[in-house]
Amino acid sequence: MSMVGFDRFLFAFTIGSHIILVSMSIALILLISILEFLYLRNKNSYHLALIRRLKKVFVISFGVGTASGIVVAVELINLFPGFMTLVSETGIISAFYAEIFAFFLETISLVIYVYFEGVFRWKYTNLTLSIVVAFGTLLSGVFITMVNAWMNTPNGFNIPVYLSTGKVTGVLPWVAFATPSTFGEIAHVLTTTVFAGVMLIGAFFAYKYLRTRDPEEKGMFRSMLRIISGVSIIDILLAGASGSNEMSTLLQYQPLKYAAMDLNPTPGTGFSERLFGYLYNGHILDSIQIPGLQAFLAKFETGITTLPGLSQFPASDWPPLMIHTTFDVMVVGGLFLGLFLFITFLFYLFRKDFVKNRYMMYFQIFFGFFALLVYEIGWVTDEVGRQPWIVYNVMKVYQAANYSTGQLVPGYFIIAFYLVLIPATFYFFARVFNSNPAREDMKPVSEGGVNY
Amino acid sequence: MLIINILFGINFAVFAVFAVLIITEMMGSVLMLIAWEAVRKKVLDYVVPVWEVTGTFGAFWVVASDFAFPKILIPLASIFSAAIAIFLILFVARNSTIVFAEFIKKKGWLDEKKLYTGYSISTLLLGLVVLVIITGIIGGNGIDLSRLTFSVSAWAGNAASWLFIVGALVIAVGLAPVFYDLAPLKKLVVPFTVVGLVVSVISLDMFKHGSLPFLVAVPIILALLVPVLYYIPNTVKLVTNKVFFIAWASADIFSLEFMVYPTAFGGNINVNSLISTGPMASAYVAITVVGLVILAVLIALYSIAVYRRSAMMEKAASTP
Repeated sequence: MSMVGFDRFLFAFTIGSHIILVSMSIALILLISILEFLYLRNKNSYHLALIRRLKKVFVISFGVGTASGIVVAVELINLFPGFMTLVSETGIISAFYAEIFAFFLETISLVIYVYFEGVFRWKYTNLTLSIVVAFGTLLSGVFITMVNAWMNTPNGFNIPVYLSTGKVTGVLPWVAFATPSTFGEIAHVLTTTVFAGVMLIGAFFAYKYLRTRDPEEKGMFRSMLRIISGVSIIDILLAGASGSNEMSTLLQYQPLKYAAMDLNPTPGTGFSERLFGYLYNGHILDSIQIPGLQAFLAKFETGITTLPGLSQFPASDWPPLMIHTTFDVMVVGGLFLGLFLFITFLFYLFRKDFVKNRYMMYFQIFFGFFALLVYEIGWVTDEVGRQPWIVYNVMKVYQAANYSTGQLVPGYFIIAFYLVLIPATFYFFARVFNSNPAREDMKPVSEGGVNY
Repeated sequence: MLIINILFGINFAVFAVFAVLIITEMMGSVLMLIAWEAVRKKVLDYVVPVWEVTGTFGAFWVVASDFAFPKILIPLASIFSAAIAIFLILFVARNSTIVFAEFIKKKGWLDEKKLYTGYSISTLLLGLVVLVIITGIIGGNGIDLSRLTFSVSAWAGNAASWLFIVGALVIAVGLAPVFYDLAPLKKLVVPFTVVGLVVSVISLDMFKHGSLPFLVAVPIILALLVPVLYYIPNTVKLVTNKVFFIAWASADIFSLEFMVYPTAFGGNINVNSLISTGPMASAYVAITVVGLVILAVLIALYSIAVYRRSAMMEKAASTP
């Protein structure tokens, strides 16, 4: 493997692992905030026990996720110093920098929320702090997504001058916060990140519900699964709408990526939607075609009738065409997830308890992991779809990479370390979650419950 | 008086706070490895809520450096690629062991003590890696700037590198009883601090090739004030106060800025030539000001929480 290939692989592996912790953390703190709100209203002891248990899991997720986030941040400098130099000379570094203060907001409010419970007598303290932690967590995600959006649609400096001379001029630091793809990408990334995390947590609770014989625990887990299903149903609608908007942005600002994702060999009109299949000698083989659907969606969302094709661009700039398959897996996977949640919704509609249906719980477990897989595949589609560029139409990956071989051995150690760390973290999640009997966690602090 | 660039000043101030936070954790780590039962309460009362803030300051310094010194990123990534990768592994190990230790209940071979030992070892090694990188940045030891490489043997062959690390560690051991208010170890404070300072000054002088400026008196006096205040009964409470100590030690490290400004890497690199200018510099200052206001509010809130909890504990202790 070349050093560029190694840099690519190491970063992809690290961030692919990191986003599992990120989606868990964001979903956990949102669920905790919802539980704090419900507990404040109803004083339901199930909600109190869930808050206590999930808070501990969140601290672990945050602690490991923070370290992992710093690994990603430093790896960007270490593996792609050319890219980070460009980032640092243009306005988009401001988003990284602002993210640090969002991170402080999250960290310090979390420390107060977890380790200083009870020192403020205001009855809304816990709810407010949990919301501030959630806000800080989401804001961190927003700023990082801004950087990714800038990589897809760079702005804020004189690009033609940079391409001809390699010098960064005409810098407008604040413009980089709002590229043409920024708001659409933020909407899609946040909704899908929350969705993947919430569904994964749902899988855990479904498994626990099926396993436990303790009636208190059954009640607690049922309560959580209902909240999770409500959040998931709302979230998948938002994820679908924002995903559709993302395709419109691609069509307008990254036509090559769009052509590769939809596997359009040549530009034209009236295209079918092609599910799966591959390109061979300019022809698409083995695909399932839905006549006119691609053209209809493009016209409906953007008004564009002539769609881009790969032949408009030099073959050396094409991304790997596997992204057509990953894109289809993501969309079809999203539809299956939507179908599952639609069935869950029908249970609500007909006033049936979906949690008591054993098959629904099996499906909840399956779709929890499936949602994470679809989420990862979505990121693969986005990132591989931008190749060979690291900054679209500005800098290629090979121009940004670090060719020092000194990082090879430590790099393999990082990979080995993550292979142990992620399963160990999930093992600890479960162990910490189960560390107290349900009845103990359900007692108010004054009666001897858990006090941090 | 040396006038420093504001971007450099902000960056060095952030580094100073990060360095102090990691050093206080290293002090705690040494104590936990040597006398787990005797020190665990005092050390963990501080370390457990603070380790997350230390990590955030680390990230703050890394990103602030990206922003302030974009031109040095490619050389640094090449020179320190292996050291940075080792740092990352240790950082994840440190975070994961302490967070697992915090919530573990004994089951099988793994327990709280083993995990805190893992945390202590990874924190100490992490600190050593940071010190190695700092010796490179100050004196250019082991660094070939033309080929952008770092040679461990060349670094180890330079006595200034070793003396700097030994000096820093001895000072840390000397000040640990003050920071964690461990009266039985009081007799270690003066000898260790003085010896550590002497060794450190020798190493700094070697880095500056025998032309150490008089400004070095400032960090020396600041460091010596701590044992003095610790020995005066009326000031013990002040000097063992964590917020005071961290602020004081940050000012002390900040006063060492002349070691890397205006030139770094053994005088071979002019720092001003690397610093962001124009609209990027304005953006850096603007975001920093807004961010520091938010940070000040959060730290104030945190201080109120610490104060209230202490008051509650004192009240509970005094209630028969």
